[in-house]
Amino acid sequence: MARYIASRLLLAVPTVLAVLTLVFFVVRVIPGDPATAALGDYASQEAVEALRERMGLNDPLYVQYFRFLSDLVRGDLGKSMITGKEISELVRQVLPYTLELTITSIFIGAILGVPIGIYTARHVNTSIDYAGRVGSLAGLSVPAFYLGILIMLLFAYKIQLFPAVGGGDLKDLRSNLSHLVLPALTLGLIMTASVTRLTRSAMLNVLKDDYVRTARAKGLSEQVVVFRHALRAALVPIVSIIGIWAASLVADSVLTETVFARPGLGKMLVSAILQRDYTLLQSVMVIYALFVVGINLVTDIIYSFVDPRITH
Amino acid sequence: MKRFLLLSITALLLLVLAACAAPAPSAPAPGAEEAPAAAEEAAPSEPMVLRYADKAADLGTMDPHFAAATNDRNLADMMFNALVRYKPGDGSTFEPDLAVSLPEPEVVDGKQVWTFELRKGVMCHPTADTPAYELTSDDVVWSLQKSANPDTSAYAGEYNGMTVEALDDYTVKITLDQPISPILFFPKVADYAGGFIVCRKHYEAVGAEGFKTSPAGTGPFMFESYSPQDKVVLVANDAYFRGRPKLDKVEYRYMPELNSRELGLKSGDLDAINGQNESDWVARMDQEEGISVDVYGVGEVATIHFNTSVKPLDDVRVRKAIAYALDRDEFLALFGGPPVAEKVYSVVPAKFLPGGLTKEEVEALGLDYARDLEKAKALLAEAGYPDGFSLEVVSSERESYLKPYTSMQAQLAQIGIDLKITTVDHSSMHKLIRQDVNPIVVYVAWRPNADVYLTRFYHSDSIVVTGAKPDTNFSHYTGIDDLIEAARVEQDPDKQVEMWKEAQIKLLEEMISYPILYMNQVTARHDYVDYGHELKSVLALYPQFDETTTLSK
Repeated sequence: MARYIASRLLLAVPTVLAVLTLVFFVVRVIPGDPATAALGDYASQEAVEALRERMGLNDPLYVQYFRFLSDLVRGDLGKSMITGKEISELVRQVLPYTLELTITSIFIGAILGVPIGIYTARHVNTSIDYAGRVGSLAGLSVPAFYLGILIMLLFAYKIQLFPAVGGGDLKDLRSNLSHLVLPALTLGLIMTASVTRLTRSAMLNVLKDDYVRTARAKGLSEQVVVFRHALRAALVPIVSIIGIWAASLVADSVLTETVFARPGLGKMLVSAILQRDYTLLQSVMVIYALFVVGINLVTDIIYSFVDPRITH
Repeated sequence: MKRFLLLSITALLLLVLAACAAPAPSAPAPGAEEAPAAAEEAAPSEPMVLRYADKAADLGTMDPHFAAATNDRNLADMMFNALVRYKPGDGSTFEPDLAVSLPEPEVVDGKQVWTFELRKGVMCHPTADTPAYELTSDDVVWSLQKSANPDTSAYAGEYNGMTVEALDDYTVKITLDQPISPILFFPKVADYAGGFIVCRKHYEAVGAEGFKTSPAGTGPFMFESYSPQDKVVLVANDAYFRGRPKLDKVEYRYMPELNSRELGLKSGDLDAINGQNESDWVARMDQEEGISVDVYGVGEVATIHFNTSVKPLDDVRVRKAIAYALDRDEFLALFGGPPVAEKVYSVVPAKFLPGGLTKEEVEALGLDYARDLEKAKALLAEAGYPDGFSLEVVSSERESYLKPYTSMQAQLAQIGIDLKITTVDHSSMHKLIRQDVNPIVVYVAWRPNADVYLTRFYHSDSIVVTGAKPDTNFSHYTGIDDLIEAARVEQDPDKQVEMWKEAQIKLLEEMISYPILYMNQVTARHDYVDYGHELKSVLALYPQFDETTTLSK
């Protein structure tokens, strides 16, 4: 097992390096000049040139690239080109919002999706099954930002149960939770749809297997058959889809954070693009990339526990 | 199985219930601790917090001399003062701010001298790095010198030929190499761009980078906190020289999505928002109970500039043909028309600035170029283009640019001119048009006076790429340099205005550019929000929150 984890960790290193390089050059391919974007069209050309020099944008690209890599290796994300603040400090302030949103959404998606998937698989072709299938199809079809606006309209405007916008105060649990519910519900419902579909189809396959029939023939209770025998075998694809969704939730959070005006990495990414803040943009993209690599790593490790054959 | 499902749903419900509970009250404003004794005896009340959402994604800088984005300008407006200020809500009138009065200029050895007497007892905001201290002429001189330095200011060009010195702690002397009229001088020392006065000790304590997110001025509100991508919180300045603000705090929130701002306002999470520059939106929001929409200047002017140095636009008949093919009403319709968008007949908007030409004046001169397709076609044929021609332009992706370009495309197609539009992001468009790639440029801008408009768009020094100081003269025009320069030094305001008008008449006669429309500012608020002043025109492009702004909930 240790060797398996070590090999996965080693494989992550070239992946991360490739991502870093790609991020650096992609950021610089984005059209527009950070100095012009920062100073606006009323600024004098002299001031724009002075700012470009201060931002280090007049240095050759390879100098900027190696500066970026060497800073990262030392764990220094640098300073925002626009606000001048330490990026690590900016990220530290918004990361909790993105993490709580992602984790809660995964929790909602898993806690609703798996049982609904199992239930509909066990009651295949009944009205409940049809309702589950239609619901999950709808959930997969609706974009996160649109669902977010609908949920906001219902729960914040019509019923006025939760605040419509903002992230709340992290030090105030009630304020924080009340601001978390609607965006988490938005992402959670979308993930529920996917998990439900996959769990249902995985369970349908497994429930037809001989060993499940044998378990039933042995007189085991239905609960034991489903949870101890069938679900365990169906877990590998379910864990896989939850891992994939965890990674894509990070991307979806870009839209959800913008719609709900929540602070977070997603909103930070959007503002860095709009302001052409190269240093902030590449740092946020690197964090996203590391996030995805990390989630894949964790998923691989969970696989090995669910199905030890994978380590071989 | 059912039990498991039930357990899951119960867990979720518990989470939701916990979140539904009323949030704990916010901490009182720091200023509340120093409230008068009578107030302390009264029952504790909720701090009065104004929550405003702007369409920006995040803070840029709180250094007023680099504040270019509207959201940054708004914050500077609340935290800083200048020697003089535009009257709150009315950008056409100057009044003293840090200065005791508006001075009259003197001429000494051929140079113009303006002497400002400062108010006494104006306090710089206390910060973690510097305690509150009295603002003196040393801060004013240092701050204006900072504005004149391109390394520390985006507006350095405005301060060429200006010397600032302190005569004593409360007297500042500004000497100009070239005399100019008050209408051109006061904007340089007013609460806009480089005129804001920064507290020197704090700036030196935190440095240029630190000041961007930790500013200190003398304004009605002081910086409290910045949450990235979320908000900036300002608190009342108890020691403000015009009296303590009625608001305890201002929460300035960053919400680029219009739907989110709108829902935030309707649901009561926000008190006021930056709205949509469309008349339909204004009408719809005005129908919401308890919500009012304010539409006010200053309006950014959209103008079409023709590059007179390239074929076929070097022929005045072609430019006039284009003008006769265009209809301002069609442009206006794209923005829903008045009150948000209104027609403009000269590059300097007559409604907001002296020196602009009114509709009546332009019509009387026969320079309104009322739509006449036959005349347009005849002019094109006379110029040797009976079948029209093709032009390629780049446009910003922003609606304020793309709409005029696409409308122009449709209108010009009727006289055989094929306008091919490539859409690029806004910042790229600015870069490309300054490289002279567009034969026709649509430019949307506000400038603080007629001189700045005319100098930056029509003086030969400002010609893009090849000018002595390349700027935004996209038309490559050189015909009104003498008028611009003469008007700049003219001391008689009436004569000065006449010269500006004359210059713009020349622009219209030669059809150097075609002014289309101006777009007003749109802000929506709950009826309980009282800005404390009437909104006519605001250079800071928001309703202006000051010591008089209050909430009557």
